[in-house]
Amino acid sequence: MPSKVSDEVVTLIENRKINQKYFKLVFQSRGLSKNVKPGQFVQLQIQPAQDPFLRRPFSYFRVCSDRIEILYEILGRGTSLLARKKKGDRVRVMGPLGRPFTEKVGQKKRILVGGGIGVPPLMFLAERCSVDCLLIGVKSKEELLPKREMAQVKGKVLFSTDDGSYGEKGYVTELLKKVLKEESSRLVYIQTCGPNVMMREVMKIAKKKGIEGEASMDERMACGIGACLGCMVETRDGLVPSCKEGPVFSFENLV
Amino acid sequence: MKMNKNVRKQGKKQIKTNLMRCCRPDSGSVDLTTRIKDVVFRNPLTVASGTFGTKDEYAPFVDIERLGAVITKTITVKPRRGNPMPRICEAAAGMLNAIGLQNKGLQDFIEDKIPYFEKKDVPLIVNIAGESTDEFRMLVSTLTKYRHVVKAIELNLSCPNVEKGGVSAMRKRDVILDIVRTARSETDLLLIAKLSPELGDLIEIAGELVSIGIDALSLINTLKGMAVDVRKRCSKMAKITGGLSGPAIKPVALRYVYEVKKKYKIPVIASGGIMTAIDALEFLVVGADLVAVGTANFVQPTATLDILDGIKEFCVQNHIACLDDLRGSFKENRPAT
Repeated sequence: MPSKVSDEVVTLIENRKINQKYFKLVFQSRGLSKNVKPGQFVQLQIQPAQDPFLRRPFSYFRVCSDRIEILYEILGRGTSLLARKKKGDRVRVMGPLGRPFTEKVGQKKRILVGGGIGVPPLMFLAERCSVDCLLIGVKSKEELLPKREMAQVKGKVLFSTDDGSYGEKGYVTELLKKVLKEESSRLVYIQTCGPNVMMREVMKIAKKKGIEGEASMDERMACGIGACLGCMVETRDGLVPSCKEGPVFSFENLV
Repeated sequence: MKMNKNVRKQGKKQIKTNLMRCCRPDSGSVDLTTRIKDVVFRNPLTVASGTFGTKDEYAPFVDIERLGAVITKTITVKPRRGNPMPRICEAAAGMLNAIGLQNKGLQDFIEDKIPYFEKKDVPLIVNIAGESTDEFRMLVSTLTKYRHVVKAIELNLSCPNVEKGGVSAMRKRDVILDIVRTARSETDLLLIAKLSPELGDLIEIAGELVSIGIDALSLINTLKGMAVDVRKRCSKMAKITGGLSGPAIKPVALRYVYEVKKKYKIPVIASGGIMTAIDALEFLVVGADLVAVGTANFVQPTATLDILDGIKEFCVQNHIACLDDLRGSFKENRPAT
């Protein structure tokens, strides 16, 4: 673990819908905000009464001093129960967990490729480090984050939507191909987070051009600390738990 | 029973015991010392195999020297990759897993894990599985050579997620008896068999194992189950079925521990959905010798110590100076209310 893990009960400052799809959850904690790096995550226990039984992993979206923000989407029973939580409600949170994205990429131009709910950790990275370009792919414009959430990104942001309602029409991987046309491969570093299919395509494009980078893998997790061996990812070192050895892996390490 | 003033003064300081000292307060103000065969455990709290990592995963949360014992994840002769993903899935009050005994094998255990546990003051119980009786023989004889660290061997006779050496193969009574007889002939260490109702008539099997010299039983392993993704119309797990664990199986586990303890004079390590001190106490009341916290570790990494503190608190509040006064105190007839 790169930093000390805290496990504490926090009080929600905010939990509201910010667009058609995403909710924003805010709480304060010194322990959970200390030395957090983009790409790391928390394990949040939605209710203490064993239902839902397991904790849920959420990436850090933004950490300002001891204020922590998380973006999530209702995907099942757990997140729909979480969405019902009000300001003042309490939840148990453990973090920071996992290996983060690399912040220092030397002279290379950093290109970030995010899809759907994979965007928040990349936004966190783009607010911490300067990026050449942040590519965001969503289904349609209703899923775009409000402008004020994007204001602190240190770099250019380009969009693609599946239905063409905003930015380029099509997948974000097509947008990536376009952007890369103008770049010298050796000077680019790609960091990506999103659906596994999208990231596999990003890696394929990168490999073809000899570009290095990192992907944040999304596997079903239980413990979050490398004990249950449920969230394994195939790497050059064999099967490893993505919660502990990842979720961020270098392209070359992923088989 | 009145508590000795001097002992109470020592407060929370842990005293290492080498001898059984029944009914004298030991850890803090309550004597939780538990003994099975010649092994002394400072308290009855341990972890169920496969739920506590392989080495130091829980070090940031738990000082393992406060536990009664550590039970390792299953070790096999050769390294195993385990099953394809997804191999875990949440269930109501529990989870399914089909990890498939992923581990780095016996050699790695000897070179990497034994040196780690050598430095820790906690009895180590090594859980093993073989694809044949010969593999069990080899594992038992090799591990017995490390008796300075390995205090007991737990035979995994009930894994629901592997073909060879899994619970289905063990349904043949002569197979399971052959393995236990062989293991017994290879070691004088505390020998434990981990069983599940998937094997058949568990009470009957328990009796047969007792008669051929098993020292203790671990009850129970996970129960085979499944979950279906109705949209995709397939299992939520790559291997279709998995082992159900967590509070969902606690009543079943409790019933087997109760029945086995009632029928046989055999030490039992109880596991199955222990989430709280009260859960653990239920197993102790029906006679469990050790209580193993399993899936709870995945939800709350400090679960073992939280439960230990809860047991102590319960004993103090109920004036129980020695855990043996509570263990097996179950009453067949409900007292009149």
